[in-house]
Amino acid sequence: MRRKIAWLALGTVVALGAATGARADETYLNDVRIGAYLLHFDSTASEITGPFTVGGLNTRIQSTTTLYLAYVRQLSRHFQIEVALGWPPLTYAQGVGPATVGSIPYNGKQIASVRWLSPTALFEYSFFGPRAKWRPFIGIGVNYTNFYDRQVTAAGAAVSGGPTSISLPSSVGPAVTAGVLYHLNARWHLVASYSVAQVNSRLTTDTAGVLRSSEVHFWPNAVVLSVGYSF
Amino acid sequence: MLKKTGRVLWAVLAAAALAGCGHDSQTSHIATSTQRGTLAVDPPLRVASLSATAFASQLSASASGAQLLQLAGTPQCGVDFYYIKYWTVDPAGSPTEVSGALMVPTGTGATCSGPRPIVLYAHGTAESSQYNIADISDPNNSAYSESAMIAAVFAAQGDIVVAPNYEGYDISTLGYHPYLDASVNADDMIDALTAAQTALPHTFTPQTVGDGKVFVTGYSEGGYVAMATVKAMQAAGMTVTASAPSSGPYALEALGDLIFFGQVNIGSTVFAPLLTTSYQNAYHNVYNQTSDVYSSTYAPDIATLLPSATPITTLFSTGKLPESALFDSATPSSSTGVPQIDAAADALLAEPASPPYTPAQAALFDAGFGSNYLVNNTYRTEYVDDAVENPDEAAMTVIDGGTLDSSDIALAVAPTVGLREDMRINDMRYGGWSPEEPMLLCGADQDPTVYFEVDTGTMAAEWHALVQAGLVSVLDLNATPSGPFAPLQQGFQSTYAALVSAEGASTAIQSYHTTEAPFCMVAARDFFAQVP
Repeated sequence: MRRKIAWLALGTVVALGAATGARADETYLNDVRIGAYLLHFDSTASEITGPFTVGGLNTRIQSTTTLYLAYVRQLSRHFQIEVALGWPPLTYAQGVGPATVGSIPYNGKQIASVRWLSPTALFEYSFFGPRAKWRPFIGIGVNYTNFYDRQVTAAGAAVSGGPTSISLPSSVGPAVTAGVLYHLNARWHLVASYSVAQVNSRLTTDTAGVLRSSEVHFWPNAVVLSVGYSF
Repeated sequence: MLKKTGRVLWAVLAAAALAGCGHDSQTSHIATSTQRGTLAVDPPLRVASLSATAFASQLSASASGAQLLQLAGTPQCGVDFYYIKYWTVDPAGSPTEVSGALMVPTGTGATCSGPRPIVLYAHGTAESSQYNIADISDPNNSAYSESAMIAAVFAAQGDIVVAPNYEGYDISTLGYHPYLDASVNADDMIDALTAAQTALPHTFTPQTVGDGKVFVTGYSEGGYVAMATVKAMQAAGMTVTASAPSSGPYALEALGDLIFFGQVNIGSTVFAPLLTTSYQNAYHNVYNQTSDVYSSTYAPDIATLLPSATPITTLFSTGKLPESALFDSATPSSSTGVPQIDAAADALLAEPASPPYTPAQAALFDAGFGSNYLVNNTYRTEYVDDAVENPDEAAMTVIDGGTLDSSDIALAVAPTVGLREDMRINDMRYGGWSPEEPMLLCGADQDPTVYFEVDTGTMAAEWHALVQAGLVSVLDLNATPSGPFAPLQQGFQSTYAALVSAEGASTAIQSYHTTEAPFCMVAARDFFAQVP
């Protein structure tokens, strides 16, 4: 559903952009973008440890797609600041390890889900002039991620041993991006970019007072396809 | 324009944030009440869930497990192992949190779900303070084999099992274990049962609950605890459908006397500090200082030594505890000034020799004497003097080679040594009670750890005239096989014979007591099954 919404939004805005004209000689300082955030996680996690925990249990974060929203402020001819975020995606953690823990299925099962609000502020440098048809850019910045709506699935509760709460503290880490902007006209443009952020957190589960934990490195890397409007 | 854009941006951010106004999943409810029998965490943690096939496979992976599987039978049900935490009372009457296991049969078989009998099980003496009978997920846990045993014998055959870890173990912060403290142990068992009954409707299989039948059993220390629990439950008007205490030190005072008379049992150097610490905390009359009882080598640390997080082998190797020398090999003499008492006491203080004991018995008792001994001579003499002046008749009957019957098994009338006073009131003869529902007393007559004759024999003699015929049955695994338990008797005897053949008699005897356990538990199961 999220994927459909994202692509629909992108398509609509592209269509709007194609239909809207603008004066080519104007310079705009502001830019809003909307598009699709194709999130892929190269997540790694330390083995889950804690009481009553068999060895070799791990997790993997499933990739997802969500809506991309951004605001870009031009600082100068080549420098700009981008504040971007995805519509908080529902992301699933999948069990990695033995096929079963005891007789409870584990490997490949969706054991937990979480939403995250993850704004990223990027300081970017764009090549070529403001009116160049193609404008590659690179950027560096900082990502803040807040996890919420932390849910353990029925499969997760079964393998954990009962109703389980999750603690996943917020993360602050560096982010980098590289992309290219294609001007449809003076106001409308298409943007494709690739971004990587460092998002680390310590996952702690509480099942009947028994705490188990794992260090999780999400390494979200995102391909963004968006359309922007300058004003 | 910029202002307008900012509003748009913040609106988007706010919408995104609102989209996430979900809720986090919650863990179990933590009880605020500390009343007896309160389940502290509800629902409890399921430590493991094993299907019948997986459990059989896990047991088959080790030689001892395969042997257990053969004895207990192919699992008919899977087993869910829950870790229960609950509130009970310590010897001072204060609330204290403890833990235990709740094992629930699972599966589609007719005997694996719905209302099922509850087996309340009491475990044997444990040296490790980390003992946790719920933790089947850790084969290195000192409770693993006992946990597997009761799961295989009872839960995998369709019984719900409740087994406390006892105060002093696992999460308990008491700091010691109320060892062989009848009322405290019984309260713990009853509170575990109450907490488990609260937990059952909230497990992953809420349809599996107690069917009204409650069977009580236990092995070794747990045999004693099981009997104390039957006594307490009967007194409280609670249902005990049947019971099967096994190889327990029921006639505690008589057993204590025999040990002080030189019939030192295997494990005595572990049992002694557990017992004196327990009774000192409960009654404050065992000693003024530990050196009143213990030799100067061991007295400084003995009061807090057991149960311990340090392996017992390390306690032995680091000189914290002698491995087997309970008494000084240079035996003391009595000096009460009363010639008859001194003479009788001196005979009992001398190290048992062959004859009249068999060479094997003499060798066994000899291991209880050494130069690095645990109990000092002054205290041993004081104890034996008291036992002569205020005799436990069962102990005296056994030491004299007599036959136990209801006329010669009375408790000491007025012992003066604190430890004997405490053992007297915790002796299962104390209080003049008898079982009201069927009871099986299982053991083996050559048990070198908990003596069968003085414990099981004394209780059987005590109740012989008090209960209707057949209500209390005795199963001696070492007797000539006969009757409904003949296959178990044959099984035990052939298993032990194989052990002797493989290890030699002097090594095998160390395992005699533990070898009995699964046979007694299967006997208990079969006994329970025929109770209407």
